[in-house]
Amino acid sequence: MLKATLRSFLAHKGRLLLSALAVILSVAFVAGSLIFSDTVSRTFDRLFASTAADVTVTPKETLDETVPSGQTLTLPASLADRLARAQGVAAARAEVDVEGLTVADKDRESVGPTTGAPTIGTAWNPTERSGVELTSGHAPKGDSQVLVDADTADSKDVRIGDRLTVIGQEGSFPVEVVGIVTFTTTNPGAALVFFDPATAQTRLLGDPKAATGISVDAAEGVSDTELKRRVADALGTDAGTYELRTAEEQAESDAEQLGGFLDIIKYVMLGFAGVAVLVGVFLIVNTFSMLIAQRTRELGLLRALGADRRQVRRSVLTEALLLGLVGSTAGLAAGIGLAVGLIELMGLMGMNIRTTEMVIGWGTPVTAYVVGLGVTFVAAYLPARRAAGVSPMAALADAEIAEIGRPLRLRAVLGSVVGAAGAAALVGCAVSSKTSAAASLLGLGVLLTLIATVIAGPLLVRPVIRVLGGAFPALFGSIGRMSQRNALRNPRRTGATAAALMVGLALVGGMSVASASMTKSFDQQIDKTLGADFVVQNGNFVPFPQEITDKIRDTEGVGLVVRSQFTTIAVRLPDGDRVKTTAAGYEPELDKVANITYAQGDSAAALADGRLAMDKDFAEDHGVRVGSTLPVEFQGDRRAELTVGALTDQESAEGFGAQGGIYFGLGTLQRYAPGGQDAAVYVNAASGTGADDLRGNLEETLDPYPQVQVRDIADYKQLVHDQIAVLLYLVYALLGLAIIIAVLGVVNTLALSVVERTREIGLLRAIGLARRQLRRMIRLESVVIAVFGAVLGLALGLVWGVCTQQVLALQGMTALAIPWGTIVAVVIGSAVVGIVAALLPALRASRMNVLAAIAHE
Amino acid sequence: MSTAAAEHAPGPGSADGIAARARGLTKAYGSGETTVLALDSVDVDIARGRFTAVMGPSGSGKSTLMHCLAGLDNVSAGQVWLGDTEITGLKDRELTRLRRDRIGFMFQSFNLIPTLNAAENITLPMDIAGKKPDDKWLDQVIDTLGLRDRLEHRPSQLSGGQQQRVACARALASRPELIFADEPTGNLDSRAGLEVLGFLREAVDQLGQTVVMVTHDPGAAAHSDLVLFLGDGRIVDEMERPTAEAVLERMRLFTGGNPQTPGFDVIRSQFGDGEPTSPEER
Repeated sequence: MLKATLRSFLAHKGRLLLSALAVILSVAFVAGSLIFSDTVSRTFDRLFASTAADVTVTPKETLDETVPSGQTLTLPASLADRLARAQGVAAARAEVDVEGLTVADKDRESVGPTTGAPTIGTAWNPTERSGVELTSGHAPKGDSQVLVDADTADSKDVRIGDRLTVIGQEGSFPVEVVGIVTFTTTNPGAALVFFDPATAQTRLLGDPKAATGISVDAAEGVSDTELKRRVADALGTDAGTYELRTAEEQAESDAEQLGGFLDIIKYVMLGFAGVAVLVGVFLIVNTFSMLIAQRTRELGLLRALGADRRQVRRSVLTEALLLGLVGSTAGLAAGIGLAVGLIELMGLMGMNIRTTEMVIGWGTPVTAYVVGLGVTFVAAYLPARRAAGVSPMAALADAEIAEIGRPLRLRAVLGSVVGAAGAAALVGCAVSSKTSAAASLLGLGVLLTLIATVIAGPLLVRPVIRVLGGAFPALFGSIGRMSQRNALRNPRRTGATAAALMVGLALVGGMSVASASMTKSFDQQIDKTLGADFVVQNGNFVPFPQEITDKIRDTEGVGLVVRSQFTTIAVRLPDGDRVKTTAAGYEPELDKVANITYAQGDSAAALADGRLAMDKDFAEDHGVRVGSTLPVEFQGDRRAELTVGALTDQESAEGFGAQGGIYFGLGTLQRYAPGGQDAAVYVNAASGTGADDLRGNLEETLDPYPQVQVRDIADYKQLVHDQIAVLLYLVYALLGLAIIIAVLGVVNTLALSVVERTREIGLLRAIGLARRQLRRMIRLESVVIAVFGAVLGLALGLVWGVCTQQVLALQGMTALAIPWGTIVAVVIGSAVVGIVAALLPALRASRMNVLAAIAHE
Repeated sequence: MSTAAAEHAPGPGSADGIAARARGLTKAYGSGETTVLALDSVDVDIARGRFTAVMGPSGSGKSTLMHCLAGLDNVSAGQVWLGDTEITGLKDRELTRLRRDRIGFMFQSFNLIPTLNAAENITLPMDIAGKKPDDKWLDQVIDTLGLRDRLEHRPSQLSGGQQQRVACARALASRPELIFADEPTGNLDSRAGLEVLGFLREAVDQLGQTVVMVTHDPGAAAHSDLVLFLGDGRIVDEMERPTAEAVLERMRLFTGGNPQTPGFDVIRSQFGDGEPTSPEER
């Protein structure tokens, strides 16, 4: 039996190739993402471990920031001297590390990474742990000399002797590049600028006695843990306001910060793998079903010769496992290639990881084989069962008819039950008023309706394709008629083939409706709430120094400037909840640049000293009323008692992770969270100045500051659109993958259909069907299958999208937009996909020898 | 594109009463020492307006002759004409058009496209050509073959005899210069077979068509005007106004002279249900 299985596997290797490709793609994405994240985390672990001091002392960050405030936490540099005298300490140095710096070249362009990674200003204290070494020039001396890292120097063409401008919180100042440092370890992607330590303190921190941290080296024979204890002792009662970390803890903490970014890449990759697996399953099920349909006679013969059902089933499953084994192995290799590609890509983005240090943990091959074998086994199980059900009499029956003859009743029942459950969940989601409940119902509904559509797909083939291909006979005559009917011939096969495309397009349909709705909602909200002529801010929402705001104020034609800052707070609410959130601080003239609807109170009451405003619904949920006094905790353990001055009634009060929509006066914010930077500055023109003139003036003012831009309402909307578009690009990439696999599926189905219809094709050719016409016939069949998948997918996606919008509406995004342009484009695109998929099968059919085809058994 | 067909339409205008002609027609399979000659320099004229049967034992080259005459297969040497057109050396596209416009086909089995109904199958060659069928002629053909109430049926809803009648109607529908029938009764029971042979006879006598039929059933050959006997790739004999007995007698000579081919299929053929390779269908 095993011999027969092997023979069969080899005999069908051409047809199994496409299934193998699906397995390879799934496994490659899984293995690639694992190898990539293993390699990157190993590299960074090594980097952080080698650069961390034995013990590092930093100011304690009591609240994690989700939205950057621009605050730089400092500690007294004199702490270094105090710690240097402590027991077991060999040396202690005050360090200065300032993120969020902008360094501009003479063309007023930033020399920082374009990826959004920070530019870091650091005091030049070279040790063997610096991670960099001076490779040309000399160490910076005085307040106008800096070193620049070699990667930045290369990519931005910075040379020794170049003059740069450093723009920091404490103001901008000119510097000269006097040296280039080269990374001795991996460059994590940031741009590094090194200053003379005293300069770093005065110019970056604005305080010659401040530092951002203390590095402590252990004396001979003192362990890091022991050292940490001694440092804590030396700090005495102050220890509570500092964070003490051993080298190991520091490395972990650094890795954790980077981890978020790596996790995103990992999850994106696993998302791709998921799509590949999902769509691949359809392809494999379909291939095996067709192979078995074709081999019905052969299987019948095996049964007639005495093979029992179990043997037949095992034979098919063994074949599947062989496929899985081959696919997983090739996929693993492809995954290594993918990881290399990703690492190279990271290199282009400034993160230099050596591919020679690639880490392939034992988990990677294990996962690869589990995924590859699992997918093929699961996908081949049903076809294998069907194969086992072949009766010995089938040796004499017609394979295709046997396949079509099986009723779809079970599918109808199962499909409607699951579909009804899914529809109920979606309706529940649409009417639900609680975001969390609605979101779970949405997820459930999406899953169930997807399963229902996959199950019921073959039932929808006849009605939908009758309509879709309805015009074919009129347009293309007999050829059109035959292609339409060929697509209808085996609804099960057509349904399964189209399902692969459907899954991807449903995803795209849903996401594009959701994102179009989000975009429209944001537009409406911006129109409604934003009243300023211009907004000045950073494209990545990174705060910027006070100096820029001052320059804006001094610009000719500027009437009113309203500053805003963000800070992280934790509020203790009357119902006992402690909510950590991001709050905003505004200058008092808020009403002149924004239209805020208040349920109670007004901007004056909200922004008054010691007051705050919050969203009405949030307040109700937590038992807060106007006049309630709430304990509010700020960064660095500063505490305040603030009184609720106003409640807002905004549609989208809680956007951008700012739960509760809390804001207060900028004065209040600065009192409790000093040192923050402006996140956005709203500007109105002085009376008599036209918007265009003001814009010109502002652009001139901001020219030396590459980190910020002037935007009017239209530009601001565009910025928001671009942010949403990033999400869409990801979805489109997923779609691309789904389409590739779906094309493989269509190719597969058509190729097998062509083989099955060899005699028919021979007859058609004999009675005068030209090769061109034959190719057109197959192409049209392919197009109708692909468009069928697209229509089903988009219909499902539209329903999902509308329901998603209902959930978003609970978050204030009330507008519904259906991107008809995208939908039409997708349908046309799917027709193109059909044409592409038909290329090879059509060519093959048209090359058939007429006589051989007629004589084909 | 239809001008060529129109020029060669059958009728009184045709030059010499020859529908198809082959000179020195040779077809070899394989190469070098393993070369097998399926046709060995065959000269043949197919008379217009007559019913010609091609007979011979298995492997005699009768099907190959038909395939070469019909432009389904290329030749190794020699020339073939359809009417005045030399078809040897034509490219696939021209041959396809020639088959579509000027030749009608009937095969032993699998004659119809399963997804099309009878009416659609009948007009398929004309639909492919983008031509409108001649409705009067079509009605006459359909009525002659008694298919009027079967037109909406799909092939799977038709009996074997009905299927062959539809194939016959398709072959006649475009009024081709020549109809090739390859064992048209091979898969039919004797009554249905007789019916189909009757229709072919009628097509020649009443509709003025030219029919070439490949068969190894002497009973079927007896319906023709002329029987060509093929043996070892050559035309070895011909018989005008054949009878089943005379043909059978002639075929016996073959089996006697060629001990490698047992008389099995000929004996089978006596029962008029032909196909020796599938005895279970009897």
